[in-house]
Amino acid sequence: MRMFAIFAMMLSWSWIRAAEPTKAQSDFFENKVRPLLADKCFGCHSEAMNKTKGNLTLDTLAGMLAGGDLGPAIVPGKSKESRLVEAVRYANDDLKMPPKEKLKDEEVAILANWIDDGAVWPNAKASGKRKPGTITDEDRRWWSFAPIKVNPPPKAGDGWARNEIDRFVAEKHAANELAPAPEANRLALIRRLTFDLHGLPPTPAEIDAFAKDSSPNAYEDLVERLLASPRYGERQARLWLDLVRYADSDGYRIDDYRPHAWRYRDYVVRSFNADKGYDRFVREQLAGDELYPGDVDARIATGYLRHWIYEYNNRDARGQWNTILNDITDTTSDVFLGLGLQCARCHDHKFDPLLQKDYFRLQAFFAALNPRDDLIAATEAEIAEQARRSKEWEEKTAAIREKIEAIEGPARKKAAAGAIGIFPEDVQAMMRKPAKARTPYEQQINDLAYRQVEYEFGRIDKHVPSARKEELLALRRQLVPFESLKPAPLPMAFAATDVGPAASPITIPKRGDTPIEPGFPTVIQERPASIAPLAGSTGRRAALANWLVDPANPLTARVMVNRVWQQHFGRGLAANASDFGRLGEPPTHPELLDWLAARFVADGWSFKSLHRRIVLSATYRLTSEHPKAAEGKLIDPENKWLWKAPVRRLEAEQIRDAIYAVTGELSLKEGGPGVAASEPRRSLYCKIMRNTRDPLLDVFDAPYWISSAASRDTTTTPVQSLLLVNSPSMIARGKAFAARLAREVPDEAKRIDRAYRLAYGRPASSKETVAALAFLDTQARRIDPKKSGSAQAEFVGAKLPYRDGQAADLKLGVSTGFQLAGDKLPAGEFTIETFASPRSVAETGAVRTLAAHFETTPKPIGWSFGITGKQSRRKPQTLVMQLFGAKRDGTFGEEAVFSDQHVALNKPYYFAAAVRLASKDAPGSITFYLKDLSNDDEPLLTAKLPHAIVGGFDHKQPMTLGRRGASAGADFDGLLDDVRLSGAALGVDELLFTREGINKHTLGYWQFEPKPGAFVDGSGHGLDIRPAAAKPMTAPRDARQTAWADFCHVLLNSSEFLYVE
Amino acid sequence: MWNSPARTRREWLAAAGGGFGALALAALDATAGSLAPRKPHFAPKAKSCIFLFMEGGPSHIDTFDPKPELDRLAGQPLPASFGKVILAMGENHAPLLGSRRQWKRHGQSGLWVSDWLPEIAKHADDLAVFRSCYADGINHSAGVCQMNTGSILGGRPSLGAWVTYGLGTVNQDLPAFVVMQDNQSTVVNGPRNWSAGFMPAVYQGTRIQGGAEPIPNLNPPEGIADAEQRGKLELLNALNRDYARKHPDQTELDARLTSYELAFRMQAEAPQAVDVSKETAATQALYGMDNKETQTIGRLCLLARRLVERGTRFVQIYHGAGSKWDAHTKLEENHSGLCRSMDKPVAGLLADLKARGLLKDTLVVWGGEFGRTPMSEKGGGRDHNPTGFTMWMAGGGVKGGQAIGTTDELGLRAVENKLHVHDFHATILWLMGLGNMDLVYKYKGRPERPTLNEGEPYKQVAG
Repeated sequence: MRMFAIFAMMLSWSWIRAAEPTKAQSDFFENKVRPLLADKCFGCHSEAMNKTKGNLTLDTLAGMLAGGDLGPAIVPGKSKESRLVEAVRYANDDLKMPPKEKLKDEEVAILANWIDDGAVWPNAKASGKRKPGTITDEDRRWWSFAPIKVNPPPKAGDGWARNEIDRFVAEKHAANELAPAPEANRLALIRRLTFDLHGLPPTPAEIDAFAKDSSPNAYEDLVERLLASPRYGERQARLWLDLVRYADSDGYRIDDYRPHAWRYRDYVVRSFNADKGYDRFVREQLAGDELYPGDVDARIATGYLRHWIYEYNNRDARGQWNTILNDITDTTSDVFLGLGLQCARCHDHKFDPLLQKDYFRLQAFFAALNPRDDLIAATEAEIAEQARRSKEWEEKTAAIREKIEAIEGPARKKAAAGAIGIFPEDVQAMMRKPAKARTPYEQQINDLAYRQVEYEFGRIDKHVPSARKEELLALRRQLVPFESLKPAPLPMAFAATDVGPAASPITIPKRGDTPIEPGFPTVIQERPASIAPLAGSTGRRAALANWLVDPANPLTARVMVNRVWQQHFGRGLAANASDFGRLGEPPTHPELLDWLAARFVADGWSFKSLHRRIVLSATYRLTSEHPKAAEGKLIDPENKWLWKAPVRRLEAEQIRDAIYAVTGELSLKEGGPGVAASEPRRSLYCKIMRNTRDPLLDVFDAPYWISSAASRDTTTTPVQSLLLVNSPSMIARGKAFAARLAREVPDEAKRIDRAYRLAYGRPASSKETVAALAFLDTQARRIDPKKSGSAQAEFVGAKLPYRDGQAADLKLGVSTGFQLAGDKLPAGEFTIETFASPRSVAETGAVRTLAAHFETTPKPIGWSFGITGKQSRRKPQTLVMQLFGAKRDGTFGEEAVFSDQHVALNKPYYFAAAVRLASKDAPGSITFYLKDLSNDDEPLLTAKLPHAIVGGFDHKQPMTLGRRGASAGADFDGLLDDVRLSGAALGVDELLFTREGINKHTLGYWQFEPKPGAFVDGSGHGLDIRPAAAKPMTAPRDARQTAWADFCHVLLNSSEFLYVE
Repeated sequence: MWNSPARTRREWLAAAGGGFGALALAALDATAGSLAPRKPHFAPKAKSCIFLFMEGGPSHIDTFDPKPELDRLAGQPLPASFGKVILAMGENHAPLLGSRRQWKRHGQSGLWVSDWLPEIAKHADDLAVFRSCYADGINHSAGVCQMNTGSILGGRPSLGAWVTYGLGTVNQDLPAFVVMQDNQSTVVNGPRNWSAGFMPAVYQGTRIQGGAEPIPNLNPPEGIADAEQRGKLELLNALNRDYARKHPDQTELDARLTSYELAFRMQAEAPQAVDVSKETAATQALYGMDNKETQTIGRLCLLARRLVERGTRFVQIYHGAGSKWDAHTKLEENHSGLCRSMDKPVAGLLADLKARGLLKDTLVVWGGEFGRTPMSEKGGGRDHNPTGFTMWMAGGGVKGGQAIGTTDELGLRAVENKLHVHDFHATILWLMGLGNMDLVYKYKGRPERPTLNEGEPYKQVAG
């Protein structure tokens, strides 16, 4: 049912066949051809009926001639070369028209004869269509393609204007009979400026300092202070990272973490803070490897070429590579050119003079691209130093490593053969060729596919024959003592280079094999780009980057200046920041846009100068309250002419950062690997996992970071309100805010003022203070001290990826794990199961405990289930069950049984151990179960191992979750979700993983859900848990303190906090 | 937002704030994205849609698309005439695997259904079975993404979001687009399967679970008394009203006020909507809720009916969430269990909708992201097959008892009346009164459409 793929163009058209038809030709057309077309084709291909299936119309001659993707539908005089005839003949499997039923032979003949006779169409009129593949002078005059034109600022706005921007704006005010609003007060200005430039609220001290600054340059000084702060780069980076769809994960199925991507994020922050020129910034990201070889930052910058989503198990390597190249092409066009070039991937752009060829000309700059994960983000000197420092370790361990290689080497070979063997045969052939024999394209496909081989290398233990596992583990343990000699690894770059000096040919799909040479949009420059080849690289991306930042380029500076304007006013001078074509709106102030673009270039592409210019203008400083707002709205409801300031809701990250800033919890630590959203770091530094979104950022319209985002939506939904008012984390923020206030301001009336200054950036009025105090009194009476909420409040919940609901977030040294209220636990066989994700394991061999029923004194007794540390005597990062009890031989002692299954950090797992006791006659068994929840292709792994404990491990101490017994030495670090204890050794079909819920064996079931309560045992046996901390958690709430927390929580929910004027 | 009857809350709102109701909805409309009901492009046949998503890819050749030739050639390699196939798991020369099913014609229409689905088979005369579907993704992530959003790449709005954007909802107290799943595993690609993509977030699907808190954060945590919560909301309302008064021309601020009212109306309505305890034992039994094996999905199907009854526009149920239908090995064990758990509940849904007169307005859709190969994998399994597979529809103006299109003799590729995912989506939209080329959202200034400017509704589905 798929029609012709997509076709065509609808611009001015000025050519058509001129000859007058004969009567016979007219009759034939009207009696035979037109009725046939109308009957069989117009249903989907009619300009008049607006049916443009595949963008092809067949109800005008122009439409037929224009055609598109597959060339024109007809070639007058040549039916054999006409696509229309090919289609109706059903000669081509991919092009059978009409799709449902083939025309009769005589009908096909009518069309063929008509075409052979010259395709005479009586009274043909020019339609909206144009000859494909051409550009007119009118196209070149379109505002965004025309050269930047610098007019002197108009002479408007005397007495009001502070700088040139205002003159341009004032001219429009006058023309539209609008008067600008007065200047905003200082409190509004510092709040607006700080959010715009830092993404954070100003502190009370900063507000006071600015309010009291009597210097005539107070505002200018404030702007300089803000621009000089590292917070500036963090805020600007967010905007850029949206554009380049930066994230820390692959974005497909297993959504793997990208461990080195964050260095690109930090590079962007650094670049903004250093006020790196946009020209250099563009060059580094598109072609840092070609233009600045050896420059570490430039190497990291090429991460720009890497942010596409990636599917780790796609065997269609050709298709996947094609998708990646398309993604880079689309993004580059959106980000730098502000053009919807992806519309031209399948057909000439319908509205803009962008040809299909232009899409592939742009793509050709990336034709030789090769994603790289093997580049070190360090200087040559640092790399040499590393080699020197590694030497001792290498020498001392060479013999051991050789033995390890003797086992792992053949396993890798086997793994590689298996991984290669599942690709289509043509891809396998490319992979089996010697590298020298591969074409650049084959090398690219090989490298892409080889990632799947490396994936197997990453789990090499699975490929080692079981007979040699013990030996391998022993050898690895021999390496442990030498660890201290090994220098810390050098940082790696998430980067890209060219595959070599030659590029693979880029062709237009279904348009033959003619290679497309790199070039810019034809409307701007028709001739192909001139490329200076480099050693080992094509030089193509360098050519693109240089062209983009050539001051003569009409788009780059305009697009960027417009984005910065949008940041400050909520709307660009051209409203569609990534579409400067006919589909976008033309700029409201084109002269101002050009003037700013020219200044931007003249200022060395300096962002700080641009921001400074904008925020120093009188236009930026307007208040949001216009005395004649109602009249103004009649003239200009959208405030296009900038006669007042917009009131804007904060963006998602600003909301989160402002919450932590106000509660005093915000850490301003800069850079480094992404952290969990539960850490009070700036949102910029939170890990962006594409498939696991932070709930707060999600509801407040954070983009998906899958394609380039040029602006944020501002929605207002009940789901936002529910999250702000009811979520445990927001309630905790209210408490933290209240605690901060109580710490800083003992006097309650003054405390209210402080709360207002922190949350709203202004003092509380006396009326507000009175109302707030009244609220505190009333609220304190409403609070039921018997309802103990404090233990719940100590609970830190988080979401375990790939699981619903809430998990316990256990942090070393902060949270303590849990202990059971009851102590009636089995002394016989049992199964302990949990869903969990470890954040870290011990640097030593020590075990981190998932669950235990363990007593240390007078002698160790009981059991403990956990994960081994890095220097484990057996195997690092594997499950272990330690049993202390009576043994088969009658003695009392320990059995430590290791699963030997590898546990990776920060991955969600299902872990279980089913323990069957030994008897005098037979050993017992422990069956370990492990399932990587992030990857459905990973099976549920089982390992059944013997032990000699016959029983005798019961005692009176409570069972613990996330810790072992009373001491904190073996606490778990990470997310702990559902834990279930059963009084039997469960089989696979009874496991929690297989079937969630409780069954007849269930003794305790702890799910950490807010309902019925994080500490409630869901098994119905009343084995509730509580935090295992020393202090009693059941203290009644202090009503006054709680009222304060409620007050603070409300402030964080209120509009005045969430909006900036 | 607190735990007292809805009426009291309304009274309080009337006293404390006033000016809600219709006016407030109008204010919400002024912000980005509105859920107010919108006129369809043409007379709809279905008002709501329930999409039963069998995640992982059910085998069409063992359920709805019998292939005698496959049984005949079982054990032999795929004949060379079928050409090359790109396989997800790359078992390139595995022999053909015959179907072990017993096949029978059912109903007056004589539609073929295998013995894995005896209950659904009883509704054969309500089903329009599309046997010639095809898709572009060979892996789950691409396949599920496309079956939801039309594209194998992420970032686009899901079908439910498009429908919500196109039609809005008649019940503002419940989410317009609801997603449920049968277990706690993550559906491949996670929540972006029901995301609004580049459209405002109001159109995204809301995950609903059972119990007192079907929607996350619907209620305050334990330990907060009603009076305490009410006190907070009164204060919040007062602060927000003061602020909105200072900015009279910012309709968004009124919307913010309203969002709290809507939130607590949702708090009243949602638990009622998901409370199946009021259903009779007979109804519960109809959905298989009296049987351990069928109760989970039975409950979700019953919830779907209750939601549709209350005006929810689009309900999606994931059965086998986390690719459970993905039978690379042991197809028999895998599919027989999954079919058993789903057959009765889905049949019960059809019967119940019909008995209540809801089926004519409710489009029920069944299927996965792709089908499975006629070739075996690891002996008794089948690999992914996006080149030919089965989906079915019932209700919502669909003419039942028809099989549409065919696959080749082995069920590998769709051959007659081929129906791309875009065509399938266009057909769903068309039944709901929306033209797939007429439904346009402007993003970055560019017109975006639900089926990426392709696809055509298969109108014969309506008879």
